[in-house]
Amino acid sequence: MGRIVIIGNGAAGNCAATAIRKHRPDLELLMISHESLPAYSACALPDFLAGWVERNRLFIREERDYARLAIDTRFGQEVVALDTAGRKVVLERERIPYDRLILATGSRAIIPPVEGSHLPGNFVVKSVLDAEAILRHGPNNVVVVGSGNIGVEVAEALQVRGCRVTLIEMMEHILPRAFDAEPAGRIAGLLARQGIEILTGQKVLKVGGAEKVASVYTEDGEMPCDTVVWAAGVKQNVEIARAAGINIGRLGGIMVNSFMETNIDRIYACGDCIESTDILTGRQTLSLLWPNAKRQGEVAGLNCIGRQVKYEGSLNVVVEELYGTIVVAIGLTSRDLAGENLGVLEEEGEDWYYRALVVDDRIMGFQSVGITSGIGVVTALMKKRTPVSEIRRIMADPVLARKVWWWGRIGHFGVLENQVD
Amino acid sequence: MNKQLLVDCELCNGCGLCELACAVSKTGQYQPFRSRIRVWRQEAKGMFIPAVCVHCVEPPCQVACLMNVVDKHPVTGLTTRRVEGCIGCRACQVACPFDAACYDEVDEVVVNCDHCGGNPECVKYCPTGALQYGELEVTTGSRRRSEFSKWLGG
Repeated sequence: MGRIVIIGNGAAGNCAATAIRKHRPDLELLMISHESLPAYSACALPDFLAGWVERNRLFIREERDYARLAIDTRFGQEVVALDTAGRKVVLERERIPYDRLILATGSRAIIPPVEGSHLPGNFVVKSVLDAEAILRHGPNNVVVVGSGNIGVEVAEALQVRGCRVTLIEMMEHILPRAFDAEPAGRIAGLLARQGIEILTGQKVLKVGGAEKVASVYTEDGEMPCDTVVWAAGVKQNVEIARAAGINIGRLGGIMVNSFMETNIDRIYACGDCIESTDILTGRQTLSLLWPNAKRQGEVAGLNCIGRQVKYEGSLNVVVEELYGTIVVAIGLTSRDLAGENLGVLEEEGEDWYYRALVVDDRIMGFQSVGITSGIGVVTALMKKRTPVSEIRRIMADPVLARKVWWWGRIGHFGVLENQVD
Repeated sequence: MNKQLLVDCELCNGCGLCELACAVSKTGQYQPFRSRIRVWRQEAKGMFIPAVCVHCVEPPCQVACLMNVVDKHPVTGLTTRRVEGCIGCRACQVACPFDAACYDEVDEVVVNCDHCGGNPECVKYCPTGALQYGELEVTTGSRRRSEFSKWLGG
């Protein structure tokens, strides 16, 4: 087997490289990235913004680690095109032949084309350079647009730094992709208690200011600010793949099978840039989460060296720590399950809350605020698609319950363990 | 992996000596909340479940880790954490099906059992024999035999 080329130096690309190296120390491996930095964890960027994590701790690889793993690198270089017939990756100054190619090109943060969004003071948080630019800018009065994971974490981080923060969300509650309205309301309460202003159901119409950002206009009027952070979603980097004739799916990601193979022979794809199958629904989804990207990278790497491994599907697991409270969302939300015969099992205490979404006797979604114990077993049972009635049958039998002892932790969640009338 | 820490919930009485022994040996403090083995006590049901890392072959915590600090040791097969790189995000804690990734609230990192280098403190102090440490074939073999003899009515 000849040289394997990986485009992308993120979670997926690096996991692919690690998986290949683990089994084939002999193969030639080359990695191309448009960023000139070694691999870092994008998930830790909000912690860096808050000042909890120093810059050097963001990195999960150092320059010398690539040499140690015998990975040839072309960092800081853009891929111009793919020559699939001649099996070459075309860079600006060279053409790199490959035997197998792994596309892990990831995604980029989008700034909607509203007026004023080009002014200095508009930022995204996707790379270390973005985060550093925000810190250099010295924000005081910040508007965060979009309340996904990044939006919420950035809002917390900048508030902790001492900024006045307003969070604007277009949908009717925050974290709309991960949480239902009820838990999202509790999370909004956590943020609001610390002084973050939250506006939901509002759209940013315009960014005001002459030379730099001075205000943000919503339907309700003008809001003065000096910094706008766009966390309004990402777009898959699929341009070079599309130009090379690789199939792109309806959702905008590269289409792959469960072996991470694209429609073109010897080209694999993984990470944020692909569409994967949701483990719970079996439908196509853009997973965009770190653990899914890592697993996809591993699967792509292994298949690429001829070890056939099947990707089991993506499961959305969102874990956030907001002002010391852990909030977790696993699987689907009520919105995803609209139209199904949905049962919501929920329970709350003084400082905790959880809900499980049950369809057809299977747990399809789980959301909690302020709980850390026992969630792993719920995730595992969701992946196994264990019926709730089966969980209850086993937990009700003292002998069986001790045999399947690790299921015992489901007892943290009374409504899942016990029959409710 | 050749050696395993085996937990038998039927023998555990929830005394918590394992937690103390672990916390003292790992942190020098008599603080069970810093232990890497934690007993979940359901007194009403008489169920006591010690949770300790089972060193999965494909650990969910390794996949969940945002900083890639969870590794499998190539020789011993143990799941190890480079805690100096841990940012305490607790994604691995939530991912662990056994609730065995323990958050250390003092150091603000997640830790797991490392078998104390082959001589686990918790096993030495367990008064009921609920915790055993030994060769994989011996520990699971004896467990299998006792299960089977129960089936046969013995």
